[in-house]
Amino acid sequence: MNTHPAILLVGHPNVGKSVLFHRLTGAYVNVSNYPGTTVEVTRATARFDASAELLDTPGVLALPSRSDDERATMRALLGEPVRCLVQVGDAKNLRRTLTLSALLVELGVPMVLALNMHDEAAARGVTVDIAELAEELGAPVLATVATGGEGIGHLITAIGQAKKPESLLHYDEEFERHIAAVATAITQHCPHPHLAARGLAILFLGGDSVVEDWLREQGGTAYPTLEALRQQARTASEGDLPTLLARERTEAADALAASVISRAVKSSPLLSQRIGQAVVHPLWGIPILLGVLFAVYEFVGVFGATTLVGLMEEGLFEGILNPAFTQFMEANVSLGWLRELLVGQYGLWTMGMTYALALILPIVSTFFIAFGVLEDSGYLPRLTVIANRLFAAIGLNGRAVLPMVLGLGCVTMATLTTRILHSPRERLITTFLLALAIPCSAQLGVVLGMLGGVSFTAVLIWALAMVGVLLLAGFLAAKLIPGRRIPLVTEMPPMRLPILGNVLKKTGGRLKWYLIEVIPLFLLGTFIMFALDKLGALPAIIEAGEPLVTGWLGLPKEASAAFVMGFLRRDFGATGLFAMAHDLSPIQAVVGMITITLFIPCFASLMMMVKEQGTKTAMAMVGMIVPFAFFIGGLFNLVLRAVW
Amino acid sequence: MSPKHEARLPLAFIPAGSEVRLIALGDEIDPLQREQLTAYGLAEGRPIKILQQRPMTVILAEEVELALEHGVARHIWVERTTDAGAA
Repeated sequence: MNTHPAILLVGHPNVGKSVLFHRLTGAYVNVSNYPGTTVEVTRATARFDASAELLDTPGVLALPSRSDDERATMRALLGEPVRCLVQVGDAKNLRRTLTLSALLVELGVPMVLALNMHDEAAARGVTVDIAELAEELGAPVLATVATGGEGIGHLITAIGQAKKPESLLHYDEEFERHIAAVATAITQHCPHPHLAARGLAILFLGGDSVVEDWLREQGGTAYPTLEALRQQARTASEGDLPTLLARERTEAADALAASVISRAVKSSPLLSQRIGQAVVHPLWGIPILLGVLFAVYEFVGVFGATTLVGLMEEGLFEGILNPAFTQFMEANVSLGWLRELLVGQYGLWTMGMTYALALILPIVSTFFIAFGVLEDSGYLPRLTVIANRLFAAIGLNGRAVLPMVLGLGCVTMATLTTRILHSPRERLITTFLLALAIPCSAQLGVVLGMLGGVSFTAVLIWALAMVGVLLLAGFLAAKLIPGRRIPLVTEMPPMRLPILGNVLKKTGGRLKWYLIEVIPLFLLGTFIMFALDKLGALPAIIEAGEPLVTGWLGLPKEASAAFVMGFLRRDFGATGLFAMAHDLSPIQAVVGMITITLFIPCFASLMMMVKEQGTKTAMAMVGMIVPFAFFIGGLFNLVLRAVW
Repeated sequence: MSPKHEARLPLAFIPAGSEVRLIALGDEIDPLQREQLTAYGLAEGRPIKILQQRPMTVILAEEVELALEHGVARHIWVERTTDAGAA
């Protein structure tokens, strides 16, 4: 959080908030996870006022907050020194916009309503009487078209002149009494520095958990008074209190919207609507989906993960930087252990930084670009609709398709993308399945190279084993992980042409955030490896694994080292296994490949699991995956020896 | 059964192209999801146009296109205002 006065952009998802943000800010943005959440917020200095910071909050469907995105927005409202609230609304859907306004105006903060996508509304025959609406709200209302840069100048002027708006409604008398009682108690015991007590009271009565936590913290011993007042209101209410309050806001918004909107008879559907419908068509939707996934895979998995990584890792780092740095260290640093710590086999530079910058950075950059394009085009939610049924069987919904497909490129990066999933449960299941059963491009290369040389049957057995494990593990995870699958309900925003500047700016901000968060993690992980190696633990681990590898899996004992090294350094493992290929029987090759694919893909992916899920969960997953990989590998060893 | 009651149909069973009016969101829908649907504008009496039923139910409610799994659409009660042919 910061001390500069903040201008908050708040609004529903897909109303063009991020493009509007792009228009109001300069070239640089900071993307970060809002404290305590996996939700992304973007900040930047306002283009029109260097002393003010603009904050692009996550899209909210409704307030009081219920989802992670809504909670993050609520935290921003409570925690930032808000100078002005800019509600970005969808001009063609005024009812919904005003339902949210009905709550925002109660917060007592100067506010501006930007009715964005005015062009789309006009094209659909929807006209809003802006002057009348501004009069009713008691706050500036503007029509904008963020994508075309229309209305931005007026918006900037309006932000400077923003006033505290008026309440949109008076709730039922009974409710008003309860709201007033809670508001008085808040003013008395825990007033907020800039938000009105009445607004907080409505949110608290509506069951907003973030406001509740804030009041509990600030109110201290007075909090039970607030809770008692809420309980009284709940008992007195005929029905669910939050629902009844929300209904009154909806009705007020409906009435206001009806008085300022006029609709012309609509002509035929717009091109963007037709495209939007074609891509979720039960028939055409599938080839389009496959085409898009293929394009993303080619760009991220092949161009990013292979071409760029090759240039960076082999060309720049291993070819130029690392030898030069090593030479420099050898010439200037006399302490042997220090030299090794920096440029040795598990050196902070030669392994840690090389991994973070040469291996992961190109993949993540290409991914963020591809994701930004999908995000801004409106295709992302449509993709989930087409893929939904496939993932329902394993307790997930269609949103999981992107991480899963990207996992075939790089599991590390795919693990990062699980944050697009909505519930922690979905993120957990997807992360687990990625680590277990999705082979990354490096593994795929080894598998196809090795088993392709054996026979087609070998490749087929391996592929069937992977699909079987994926379905089985997904099914079991869905059954065993607490919580239930939430059916998919998703809005499909109009399809639009993404704005390159916005995509690149967001990518830049996300990369900066990524580097700040990930590099320390890689250095720490490398240091642990270095320490294990120095203490002689690595050879011990390799030796300890030998009986399992030779006895249970039926592989030569050198395979044990290949497993450990393959995990630590992707390149070593691959060459290690290839080197052994001639000495392996077809069964050994299949068993080895099945086990290594099920095994955690690499050290980088483990670090990413730690980052996304926390150390405890990541370690629990490792504790399941490693024995499971050996169990399945051994099972195939026994079965194949019996029947092949 | 009153005639009004007979007209109640689950959204999932209405052919694409029809226009309907929302009667109620069933109690079988997860409470949070019900709130979500209301926030999307699915309130009692609202007109809805069904755009497609496969692979998911896709509807247009006040210029907002929504995709719903059949598991949800099955518990949304609507009454017909026009038939697919007449729309």
